[in-house]
Amino acid sequence: MSYKQSFLILLELGLLLFTSCQTGTGEKSVYKNALSFGPGDEAKIVETFLMVKDSTDVLLKAGVYHFDNLSLANVKHIRIRGEGPEKTILDFSSQKTGGEGIRVTALTGFTIDNMTIRDSKGDLIKINKSRDVVVTNLHAVWKTADSTSGGYAIYPVLCKNVLVENCYVEGSSDAGIYVGQSDSAIIRKNKGAKNVAGCEVENTTHAEVYDNEFYNNTAGFLVFDLPGLSQRGGKVKAYNNYIHDNNFRNFAKAGSFGTAWGVGNAPPGSGIIILATSDVELYNNRIINNNTSGIILASGFAVDDSAVNRISDQYFPISSHIKIHGNTFEMAPDFPVPVHEHRMGPMFVAVEQALRKADPKIKRIPFIFYDGVSSNVLKNGTAVNPDSLCIRQSGDNVFVNGDFLNMANPASWKPNTDVAPFVCK
Amino acid sequence: MKKVYRVSAFITLLLAAAAVLQQGCKNKQGSKELPVQTGFVFREKLSDYGFFAGELKTLQPAAGVTHYEIITPLFSDYTVKDRFIVLPKGKPLKYTANGVLDFPDASIIIKNFAYKNKAGRKVMIETRLLVKDPADAQWKVMDYLWNQEQTEAVKHITGAALPIAFIDDAGNEIRTTYLVPNLNDCKRCHNNNNELQPIGPKARNLNFIVKGQKENQLAHWAAQGMLTGMPVADSIGQLPDWTDAQRYTLDQRARAYLEMNCAHCHRATGDASNTGLFLDYDEKDPYHVGVMKEPVSAGGGAGGLNYDIVPSDPAHSIFVYRMNSAEPNIAMPELGRSVIHKEGVALITEWIKKMK
Repeated sequence: MSYKQSFLILLELGLLLFTSCQTGTGEKSVYKNALSFGPGDEAKIVETFLMVKDSTDVLLKAGVYHFDNLSLANVKHIRIRGEGPEKTILDFSSQKTGGEGIRVTALTGFTIDNMTIRDSKGDLIKINKSRDVVVTNLHAVWKTADSTSGGYAIYPVLCKNVLVENCYVEGSSDAGIYVGQSDSAIIRKNKGAKNVAGCEVENTTHAEVYDNEFYNNTAGFLVFDLPGLSQRGGKVKAYNNYIHDNNFRNFAKAGSFGTAWGVGNAPPGSGIIILATSDVELYNNRIINNNTSGIILASGFAVDDSAVNRISDQYFPISSHIKIHGNTFEMAPDFPVPVHEHRMGPMFVAVEQALRKADPKIKRIPFIFYDGVSSNVLKNGTAVNPDSLCIRQSGDNVFVNGDFLNMANPASWKPNTDVAPFVCK
Repeated sequence: MKKVYRVSAFITLLLAAAAVLQQGCKNKQGSKELPVQTGFVFREKLSDYGFFAGELKTLQPAAGVTHYEIITPLFSDYTVKDRFIVLPKGKPLKYTANGVLDFPDASIIIKNFAYKNKAGRKVMIETRLLVKDPADAQWKVMDYLWNQEQTEAVKHITGAALPIAFIDDAGNEIRTTYLVPNLNDCKRCHNNNNELQPIGPKARNLNFIVKGQKENQLAHWAAQGMLTGMPVADSIGQLPDWTDAQRYTLDQRARAYLEMNCAHCHRATGDASNTGLFLDYDEKDPYHVGVMKEPVSAGGGAGGLNYDIVPSDPAHSIFVYRMNSAEPNIAMPELGRSVIHKEGVALITEWIKKMK
């Protein structure tokens, strides 16, 4: 049994244990201390978070609470739960300081469950350097989806063993669910809409993403590696997700289309984007009506000419060992309007035009878009599939190599639809 | 000597109390009572410790309490800071070349924050204590908030927002809401590898002659028996004084400023390690220092700019954008600052402008 499998089983067992404690003996649980608060107790709640002892279960009863911010640090085995996302609501709109609504640092055993958190200035909940993290039945939302929203709604970073389940995220000016620089994460049964990215797994290893629905975002789901960070990502699987109608404008930052890096690059109309990462498997996903591209497979060079200077043990700009199979694709007849306003958008439009010109039978840009930058570029090589890409998708109009390297030079620029070199062996 | 006795007797008492409490906790294991707090117990009032002789607000150190200063301090809304160390009797500090000096168990670091008002009067705001708990050798933190009468400071854990009107370095009156940190805010800045640690008292930041003194601060401590293991003063590194343009280059001053204002979070073991932006004075990799480095999780804080530092172009450098704002989610540092440090922004702007 692999390490990952045993982790998953342990996590399941742990969850079963929690559940059985709750249902079997009423509110009695594995936690030694049980505290309960209602609206109006904000000052007491703030103090409790600061002074909380190991192994404490905090219940926030139904109602709307107003906080500037909340934080937990350096404790073990803490659960914060409400009486339901429609009932227990934590509002951070009055925030005057700090980067997030709830900040969790260095916890071992942290669960947040069954409430809504909304409208902080920065991220809604950041969980830093913690392990055994469970985020369930949490609605994390901003009421307006524009650049005034914070970056991430649910944001575990540098964590180990993370479960994000049955959550809803909306309005993030970066990613709704963002798991960064972490090891072993399960993201399942969540929904996300009107974020720049519905969900992003970045520089994270051993992640499983399944049974989620991401829709009406700029981009549905991203797997990125960025340079200069603590670790490379990889070993990510995404399956049985429903990723549809992600055609929202990119609102990463007003006045521009975001910084050159990260999610500002995502062209509106993207289903899934794989960038500068390795060992990713995408299968059995329904990828419907993301009208720029179903799956974009790109290298760091697509967003940064100097990506080669960033190569290190923690970063390699060219995606490799990417498996794409058994997904269902559909696409509407036209690009979404916001793609024309986006920095990356015109490249996709130009690829479609070039393909149509060469072959009038092609009506739409193919579902899988590859930027065509392989590690041959770095090695002056000529191998047909040097980065072990593996695509097995039935049907027509599946694949296009956008030949980004030659795009600036129309005479030699030849986007092509030949998937043969990349078909799984 | 009487005062030394008082402080050390107090610590002994605390230790005894902690031992009894721990025992009590063991006996009650399995009962439904809340677990009893073990180890160091913070007193309710600042005066309970007997750190200061005479009127509390004069901060006149009692015997056994040592005032100290650091070369380049952290900016905190133009506040005036007083720093003290209390060592347990007969237990000196041990010299360490890198990082914070090795403090013996039961050491206490005291940092008082005040502002100068229009009348030139020093108004006390808060006093922060760091205590190295003898029960587990871990640093613990507590804040004491001064009363309006300026006669006492009382334990305060939840943080506070205080409207104040202070005089900045240029003599201008500035009104702001000073933010007293809560306990977890304290832990964030003092987080080193998920452990709480002091920030300021590193050898290289103490290695100078304090204004008005004759002898080097560290040499003085060594001569007094407060510090052991110190090599000859010449071989000890010294952090540049960020204001001293006579003796230090622009680059040295900027890096010293960034070390003291940013590196407690922006280092590989700090709270912002996820960003890959490392601002230790010793960091040699320009990319990690921010040169043409893309932001990772800055969100709106990046201001739509692409790089932390664009050499010779401060206007397009995220550093300047974030230092030059007091808005939450934009302002850096995230904590401990409600106004813009104009002199700091000027230094970093100039540094980036001259960078090739």
